[in-house]
Amino acid sequence: MLSDTDFVALENVSFGYPLLSGATGRLILDGVNLNLRKGSLVALMGGSGSGKTTILRLLGGQIKPQAGGVRVAGLDVPALPHAELFALRRRMGMLFQFGALFTDMSVFDNVAFPLREHTQLPEDAIRDLTLLKLHAVGLRGAAALMPSEISGGMARRVALARAIALDPDLIMYDEPFAGLDPISLGVTANLIRRLNDALGATSIIVTHDVEESLAIVDYVYFLAEGKIVARGTPDEIRASDLPYVRQFVSGEPDGPVRFHYPAQDYAADLGFSCAPAASASQASEGARKPGAGP
Amino acid sequence: MTQLLQSLGHGVIDGIAKLGYAARLFALLLAHSGLSFRRLRLTIAQVHFIGNYSLVIIVISGLFVGFVLGLQGYNTLQRYGSEQALGLLVALSLVRELGPVITALLFAGRAGTSITAEIGLMKAGEQLAAMDMMAVSPVARVLAPRFWAGVISMPALAAMFSAVGVFGGYIVGVVMIGVDEGAFWSQMQNGVDWLTDVGNGVVKSVVFGFAVTFIAVFEGYDCQATPEGVSRATTRTVVSSSLAVLGLDFILTALMFS
Repeated sequence: MLSDTDFVALENVSFGYPLLSGATGRLILDGVNLNLRKGSLVALMGGSGSGKTTILRLLGGQIKPQAGGVRVAGLDVPALPHAELFALRRRMGMLFQFGALFTDMSVFDNVAFPLREHTQLPEDAIRDLTLLKLHAVGLRGAAALMPSEISGGMARRVALARAIALDPDLIMYDEPFAGLDPISLGVTANLIRRLNDALGATSIIVTHDVEESLAIVDYVYFLAEGKIVARGTPDEIRASDLPYVRQFVSGEPDGPVRFHYPAQDYAADLGFSCAPAASASQASEGARKPGAGP
Repeated sequence: MTQLLQSLGHGVIDGIAKLGYAARLFALLLAHSGLSFRRLRLTIAQVHFIGNYSLVIIVISGLFVGFVLGLQGYNTLQRYGSEQALGLLVALSLVRELGPVITALLFAGRAGTSITAEIGLMKAGEQLAAMDMMAVSPVARVLAPRFWAGVISMPALAAMFSAVGVFGGYIVGVVMIGVDEGAFWSQMQNGVDWLTDVGNGVVKSVVFGFAVTFIAVFEGYDCQATPEGVSRATTRTVVSSSLAVLGLDFILTALMFS
């Protein structure tokens, strides 16, 4: 249920991408409940393909759930007409995994883009605001460069400046730490926390980076196979003895999360299916050693 | 046999679904075209990119087509002692048919592919999704200005092609072969009608502009967001728009000149 202080709520949400035949495919999300209090910074963790990014797309109204409710700022997102959905999106900022900068525009124009599209501000004011946002991510000096002239980490920071250009109420980060060097990683993590507090925004981070995230967030949700399997504050998560959380937090290869995608027997795949039982078991033993899964 | 029927059925259903999607996108494109004219700067930038950068290939092709028309036309006409009508033949061939058709085919290869690839790569790089999440419609901001720029550029390029082609015919016919200059121009002036010949040529080039640019925009927007998807979409743009141009040309010619 959406309480007065909840800014974002997913209520029993199920989602599967539609197949070509028109039917619904495998459920990516299966009965997910999630609440974000206004002003909070929440991390959404889980292995690849666990449905984390799908949640961000649901919140942004890019896709609609097959069942359940998605609410942002008290609005029923899937039911919103186009104009109202766009009005809501103006209050959201989203950082895409690879930045998604417009490659035909300079760094400056990328950050100025939402301001130019959605405000009637004079160019002087847009310039000042843009430089302010770029300064916040440490890239004021790179304003004149094109996206092709900056590194991947810098592009991510430019995209962050663009995401906060309109001072959004909800900021969504899709893997903000992936591929960053240790210095940028620490700076970006602190920046996310500071931006959330300074803007009075509510933020949601989709991430694999356990340590960096636990250091800055207020609350954590763990997703596995489309379900929330654990939730809690960073301290609760660190102290948790749930096998799933333990495996993820300490990066253990063995646990409920399987490293290997489901497949038929390894020995059989290698053509040893008719071989004596002993050599088949040796083959699958060999498969376990270099890998990280059972 | 069952499999064959099944794949045939799938093909037909997919084709109809794609046609329906294209029709919906076309309606959406028209509905979202306001921005392209309110902020004319967006469309003008695309006219520059799509139109101006196509000028060189259009002018050079027009010149060579004019040369060939001059040579072939002279060879045929002189058998009947009508080489004086060379100017008329060159001009009519260009403004009625070759100008709009060849320009549209070159336009599909030069500008259509670049539109498809650009939109496809923007999709692959999540730029369209990012724009959408910023509450800016990619159809209004990216697709519509390119579409209208193509529609505006095509008639201008076709006119340029025909003009340069006539000049090419003049160089070969009058300057090199020695056809009478006065006859060349006066026959052309008398024989070419503004409305039925030039006017219909312009109508053709506008229709081709709509068809080629829409196919390019649609293929880019509809493509699979992978390198292979973009390359396939680019190929489809050239194939579909070339066929569309030739098919439409037949229909329009039948309606206009029959």
